[in-house]
Amino acid sequence: MEYLNENLLTILILLPAFGAVALIGHQLFWKEEAHLKWLTLAFTILNFLISLALLGNVAASENGFFFEKNIPWIEAINTNYHVGVDGFSLWLVILTTFIMPIAVISTWHAVEKRAPAFYVFLLLLESAMLGVFVTLDLLVFYLFFEASLVPMFFLIGIWGGKDRIYAAVKFFIFTALGSLLMLVAIISLYYLHLQATGTGSFDYITLLGSIQSGKLVLAGQAGTLLFLAFALAFSIKVPLFPFHTWLPDAHTEAPTAGSVILAGVLLKMGTYGIMRFNFTLFPEASREMAWIFIILAIIGIIYGALVAMVQPDIKRLVAYSSVAHMGFVVLGMFSFTEAGMQGALYTMLSHGVTTGALFLLVGFIYERRHTRLISEYGGLSSVMPIYATFFVITAMASIGLPFLNGFVGEFMIMLGMWSSTILSGNWNQVATMFAGTGVIFAAVYLLWMVQRVFFGKITNEKNKGLSDLSLREIGLMAPLLFLMVFMGVYPSLFLRESAASVRGIQKIVIGETTKGGTVDSPPEIGQVEKNLPDTN
Amino acid sequence: MVENNLLSIIIFAPLAGAVINWLLGKRMNSELFSGAVACAAVGVSTIVGFMIAFGIGTPHTGALFTEGGKPVLDHLWTWMSVGDFRADFGLGMDRLSGIYVCFVSFVGFLIHVFATGYMHGDKGFYRFFAYLNLFMFAMLTLVLADNYLLMFVGWEGVGLCSYLLIGYYVNKDEARKAAKKAFVMNRIGDWGVLMAIILMATTMGTISFFDKTAIGQDVTSVFSWVSQNILTADPFTAGAIVAGGMTSIAVLLFIGATGKSAQIPLLTWLPDAMAGPTPVSALIHAATMVTAGVYLVVRSSAIFSNAPTALFIVAIVGAATAIFAATIGLAQNDIKKVLAYSTVSQLGYMFLACGVGAYVIAIFHVMTHAFFKALLFLGSGSVIHGMHHEQDMRRMGNLKKYMPITWATMMTGWLAIAGIPIFAGFFSKDEILYYTFSASNLPAGWNYFLWIIAVITAVMTAIYMTRLMVMTFWGKERFHEELPDAEHHDDDDDDHHAIPADFKPHESPWTMTVPLIVLAVLSTFGGLVGIPYALSGGNVDNYFKDTLTPVVAKVKTGKEEKKEVKHFFAPKAGGEGEEAHSAEEIALERGLAAGSVVLAIIGILIGWFGFKNNPLRKMPKLFERKWYLDEIYNKGIVDPITRGSRNVLWKGFDVGLIDGTVNGIGHFVAEMGSLARRIQVGFVRTYAAFILLGAILVIAYFIYYGYKLVG
Repeated sequence: MEYLNENLLTILILLPAFGAVALIGHQLFWKEEAHLKWLTLAFTILNFLISLALLGNVAASENGFFFEKNIPWIEAINTNYHVGVDGFSLWLVILTTFIMPIAVISTWHAVEKRAPAFYVFLLLLESAMLGVFVTLDLLVFYLFFEASLVPMFFLIGIWGGKDRIYAAVKFFIFTALGSLLMLVAIISLYYLHLQATGTGSFDYITLLGSIQSGKLVLAGQAGTLLFLAFALAFSIKVPLFPFHTWLPDAHTEAPTAGSVILAGVLLKMGTYGIMRFNFTLFPEASREMAWIFIILAIIGIIYGALVAMVQPDIKRLVAYSSVAHMGFVVLGMFSFTEAGMQGALYTMLSHGVTTGALFLLVGFIYERRHTRLISEYGGLSSVMPIYATFFVITAMASIGLPFLNGFVGEFMIMLGMWSSTILSGNWNQVATMFAGTGVIFAAVYLLWMVQRVFFGKITNEKNKGLSDLSLREIGLMAPLLFLMVFMGVYPSLFLRESAASVRGIQKIVIGETTKGGTVDSPPEIGQVEKNLPDTN
Repeated sequence: MVENNLLSIIIFAPLAGAVINWLLGKRMNSELFSGAVACAAVGVSTIVGFMIAFGIGTPHTGALFTEGGKPVLDHLWTWMSVGDFRADFGLGMDRLSGIYVCFVSFVGFLIHVFATGYMHGDKGFYRFFAYLNLFMFAMLTLVLADNYLLMFVGWEGVGLCSYLLIGYYVNKDEARKAAKKAFVMNRIGDWGVLMAIILMATTMGTISFFDKTAIGQDVTSVFSWVSQNILTADPFTAGAIVAGGMTSIAVLLFIGATGKSAQIPLLTWLPDAMAGPTPVSALIHAATMVTAGVYLVVRSSAIFSNAPTALFIVAIVGAATAIFAATIGLAQNDIKKVLAYSTVSQLGYMFLACGVGAYVIAIFHVMTHAFFKALLFLGSGSVIHGMHHEQDMRRMGNLKKYMPITWATMMTGWLAIAGIPIFAGFFSKDEILYYTFSASNLPAGWNYFLWIIAVITAVMTAIYMTRLMVMTFWGKERFHEELPDAEHHDDDDDDHHAIPADFKPHESPWTMTVPLIVLAVLSTFGGLVGIPYALSGGNVDNYFKDTLTPVVAKVKTGKEEKKEVKHFFAPKAGGEGEEAHSAEEIALERGLAAGSVVLAIIGILIGWFGFKNNPLRKMPKLFERKWYLDEIYNKGIVDPITRGSRNVLWKGFDVGLIDGTVNGIGHFVAEMGSLARRIQVGFVRTYAAFILLGAILVIAYFIYYGYKLVG
């Protein structure tokens, strides 16, 4: 049992990669493409079931992480394979393993070429994403962060729509460019730590400990620059306005599975990174820069909604709605309140479920008609009543109807922002009021689309013979719809698990604690007492 | 304070009905099954609601009679809890929600029965009743919720059901537009409610309606907080609106109320909502949902009473909406549109009552209005049913010959809304006029001004209702008349048939006429529960008012500000209450009542002689076109936002500026690349080259900088 606990995360990361190898092997020896999707599905479901074991009550290690494992990797530069989850990353891991089987089933009949490669990329992508959420070594984190780009690049570039090459390259450039700066920042951290303590380190826990105990001081310009380097990488990933323009293209061109994973998980890597690394490693800079992110987040909320409203393409509309929702997440995080940050986490989860579901639904209709233009549809509810029902429920979840999942997180974010003290004077409240208008706009763009696609008479002859959802498609939607309702009426189940960790991060970022929270007792490193004076 | 777990049955029975119809309705394919399930579900709610409200067969006194208006509670689970914030999934029935539950479930039940007849033969029968049950669930959640956030669940839920039911005839183009418009306008109001809830949560640390300590929950109510912490009311200034105190909360809540209850400026959705089936108009858009705004204001009376500016706004908006909608109602030709504007106008009255601090009277009018307006709508539904889905009154006439029951029952509704004594509407409307006239919380003179507006509205109400009755039931038959104006776009929806030459209207089946008769009885005698002290000759106390008074706050006026502290919940001493009935007051009230009877009769006479012989009289264009409000909103707000979003934000900023810059750099590098290497370079590779180049530069800079930093 002890052994299993220690290696659970490693198993989670490696199982999909192992699956990918198995797929290649299978292809070499049997050459039976029909088996591949079943194999992939089996691996992803197995991984999901294993990930549920994370919910078991295992005592946290002394730095607040569960299922920790720390073994040296490249000793020369002191980088370790160090993994662990806390209440914050826990749900993102489970979200990932939950979304993957759904993504696999969604492509059941849709992969028309190079099926082996498609499934291999999917599995590799899962490994990379899980790695991102559990790694506690910055260098390894960076490697996973970048590694997740590659499979997605190919998923869009090979199996995407008409302008797939453009979209894939744009996706790659935007995100890779941002993360390069993060690599630089990671390396600087290593050197700064080396200088301050005598040992260089990429280890998050070690760095955090040194910062908290005052051995490593990242104040002033250095802290700001490092903060910005990290934040840029993550902001592009989120994507935060104005770095969002890669998202609509990537989403529109990506195959359904790609869009589902992109919206469901990949975007969360950005918000996860900000909250995990920016907030705890650079709390001062986080506080100083918060106003910028709050403004950008609010612009994103309103801007995303307004632009979504006028999109002629359903998928592009959903993509822009992601910009708005992720704006909410960023807003909640930068409120530096427990409500806001818990709300941000909850919105990440519910956005993963809801927007994933929306992309699936768009995929269903695309497979039937091979177009996503709103103007091509109209009156679908009379030929596809089940589809229409599912779509309306999902749209309502996205709009933030109470008792569906979206509302809980958004409400908590607004509550948190309102009670925040990060901006001066009444600006916190003003910011909340502006963000709140996103609630109105969400109703406008989604319901307008629903109205044009589903209601009225069937105006296009081609839509007359459309078949309603198949059993597979209903089965695919069922768990998502269940979650939308369940997360809406009983959020405590999720919030309970994450409360302590989120509070820990919050305490660090508002500077209330130099110890405690996720880091109970920072490890002692060496005897070096030399503190780096502020370089300014 | 007692706990009763049966409360949750009231809300969950209709939910169960909705789910059953949803899952099995199509398979069963039986109108009897779907109708029976839906009616039974609401029937259960009604019975349990009355049991708990009146204490029949319960171990405790009825919720309407508990000492000091204490609620009956049912705590289910803690819905949301983060930091100090907490919102329960808990229900509570006090006197206010008790009254609401009783009339909502009972009127709802009657309308369900009516709908089984009205919707007969519709191919979405089961779906209709699933939505209708879902609506009952949401509406009852709204009134039974024990905190603002759960109330907001019901608040949004009724909005959703309204959306689904307005758009029920999916083939009607106007229906889907109206559905979206309703939802969006409601959402604008919901923004206010959300902000108000957040403001309450942050300033008071609670959003609960009731103290729940007695049932073992660590929750105190907003109103306890107000009575303990607010010693003087906010000042009567515009600045109070943005000061973040009671006035801010009240104004934000009222923004929500204007959306839900279709007040200025968010009123244009309600008349459009008439595109839905008529039982829906009766249930949602007349009797129950649209009065949720009034419920919200009255529920928050402790807050509003400390916010004189907000009350002033409420009174003005209410009065303005009342008269504005009445002018439009005068000129409509669609029978349901007339009733819709009449509803908006009556809702205005209710807010006027709230604004002058007569919360109890507002609720009284909500209740009597639910009776007579549901009756009028169902009556109009019966007419429409009998006329093969013709709604234009210009093609009706002399229907009393063919539909005697509908005619007779609608007569009571007409007399009730016009304000003829004995009928239900008379007492409530008369009380509103009286309390407006004698209001002391408004700036000097305003009470008379608002009273005059209310009186003019009352006359206009009598006129347009008489016009409706005359055009529909009297005069000569105009079933085959060509409509004069071509702009009335008779859209080619499925249920609109050309009227055959040998057409004869017919009376509706018993499922429709029985609810009409029950409602007619209620419209006639239902007002007697609230007969004012003055008008009863001093013999009877105002029973309705005595019941409700303990749960609403008393408005603080400037004069009595000091001594009014902490007395919102003071239990009434005897039967009489705090209100003394001085001789002058009684005389005043009687005089005003006599005056309003005269005015009602004048209005009816104008309507009768104005339209009896000339039913197609041309009405002012401005009124007919609703003061061009829709056009103003579209041209002034909707179009600029849409155009700006498309041309400036999306095509200009996203595609033009950001993508243009990135692509431009890409092309530039590509050009440079091909120049330098004289080979054709693919798009992808130039991009890759660009990445590499950029990355090297950036890394170089950072290494240089980092080196300086370290070294």
